[in-house]
Amino acid sequence: MITLDNVTKSYGAFQVLKGCSAEIGRGEVVVVCGPSGSGKSTLIKCINALETFEGGQIWVDGLAVRSAQTDHSALRAKAGMVFQSFELFSHLSILDNIMLAPHLVQKRVKDEIREHAKTLLRRVGLERHADKYPIALSGGQQQRAAIARALAMKPDVMLFDEPTSALDPEMVQEVLQVMMELACEGMTMMCVTHEMGFARQVATRILFVDAGEIVDDCPAADFFAGRCSVRAQAFLRFEADHPG
Amino acid sequence: MQIWSWHGFFTYLGSPYIFCGALITVYMTAVSMMMGFLLGLLIAVTKRSQRRLLSWPARFYVWFFRGTPLLVQLVVIYAGLPKLDIRLSVMACSIIGLTLNEAAYLAEIIRAGLNAVPTGQIAAARALGLSERQIAWRIAFPQAFRLIIPPLGNSVNGLLKTTSVTSVISMEELMQRSQILVQDQFMVLELFSVAALYYLLMTTAWDFLQRRIEHYAERPYRRQQKSVSVEATKLSVATQDAR
Ligand SMILES: Nc1ncnc2c1ncn2[C@@H]1O[C@H](COP(=O)(O)OP(=O)(O)OP(=O)(O)O)[C@@H](O)[C@H]1O
Ligand SMILES: [Mg+2]
Repeated sequence: MITLDNVTKSYGAFQVLKGCSAEIGRGEVVVVCGPSGSGKSTLIKCINALETFEGGQIWVDGLAVRSAQTDHSALRAKAGMVFQSFELFSHLSILDNIMLAPHLVQKRVKDEIREHAKTLLRRVGLERHADKYPIALSGGQQQRAAIARALAMKPDVMLFDEPTSALDPEMVQEVLQVMMELACEGMTMMCVTHEMGFARQVATRILFVDAGEIVDDCPAADFFAGRCSVRAQAFLRFEADHPG
Repeated sequence: MQIWSWHGFFTYLGSPYIFCGALITVYMTAVSMMMGFLLGLLIAVTKRSQRRLLSWPARFYVWFFRGTPLLVQLVVIYAGLPKLDIRLSVMACSIIGLTLNEAAYLAEIIRAGLNAVPTGQIAAARALGLSERQIAWRIAFPQAFRLIIPPLGNSVNGLLKTTSVTSVISMEELMQRSQILVQDQFMVLELFSVAALYYLLMTTAWDFLQRRIEHYAERPYRRQQKSVSVEATKLSVATQDAR
């Protein structure tokens, strides 16, 4: 589904990604973790070309990301993305937020999009809020709406960049719940998160990133059983001491 | 000569000649503002461009039209175009001058608005596959517009009065017509008071209109929304929390 092949990226003299390679199969739920500033966001944004990279290649469902021939719109339609701070369009109602891209990018019929959007809203528990604007929703509700917006494009893979980091603790669960359901339905997911509980429950694999390198790439069970690098073990101990 | 003639004041206030002058002022303001806005939008977008070939001419435009007096620009258009064998009415020259001048200021206002659109939402739009053009029209412009209504209101208000500068090329708008009548009976105070009253009337009408526009544009940003009551909202949050 996604292949990372020796991806490198620099900001000037500072190398953020130092040759990252990984393979994510269909239906896998991969959790990316690692210390702050290690390059997790940068890595995940390279996948849908929100960030450019200088070396290596990424394939998403056969499409090469770093290529002049690749249509970025087509690539991005395959990979839904959810951001830390939701980023709902503040001038549009929740329903319009969800309907915008399927209409403009995929040129689907309005009626069909509306039905699909309503189904998605029901799925994330927001059917009653369709006509509200983002500002009237809580953080957790906004993030669930943002997930619905990404799903409306019928993506093959969902990318999450710390989807619960900006939420109050009581709202984290409602978002994780939606993500877990998604994982159970077989959605391919790549998720940057510090929620180790979530990782333990649904991740099939863990990528541990430190200083721009994928230090560990192992099944979740191995990772949490301590069969991982010394750096990752130290990170796990730290996360256990500082939950959230 | 008496100090103040109420008779004169009310005669001029009811004068169709002055009234039509005021209408011409409104017309020039409306047309120059709309055309200036479109031109300003174009300049703002090109000035923000990464490509020097686009941004540099836009910077030059703003630099030039903000750096020279409108009066000079009007005279150059009025006296210069005929030398190129382009013959336009005084009204056309006035509107061209006002539009070109206003566009430079509006471009800066619009640019500020575009810069203030949250970059995260732009990234989200990109992640959804929207093209840069779609992002501009569907996300950036609508949000920027809401942000710049207050300064745009200032511009309209200012332009209503700035149109009087076109009297130098003999444009017969409100101010020029007042001055013409002064030659007649030398009731300077009465005439200029009438003109001031008309300007006040026009700016007040604009204030009212601006408030309506603002009210409309702020709709998505008010916390109390639609028919959904606070109680209903609380209820639904409670049921979700129970899930
Ligand atoms: N535009 C930029 N210019 C220069 N350096 C940048 C830029 N964006 C990110 N960086 C640097 O790249 C590194 C990786 O950033 P990134 O956001 O990918 O980290 P992260 O692992 O997502 O961290 P966090 O957990 O805090 O979100 C950081 O050291 C950051 O300072
Ligand atoms: Mg990050």
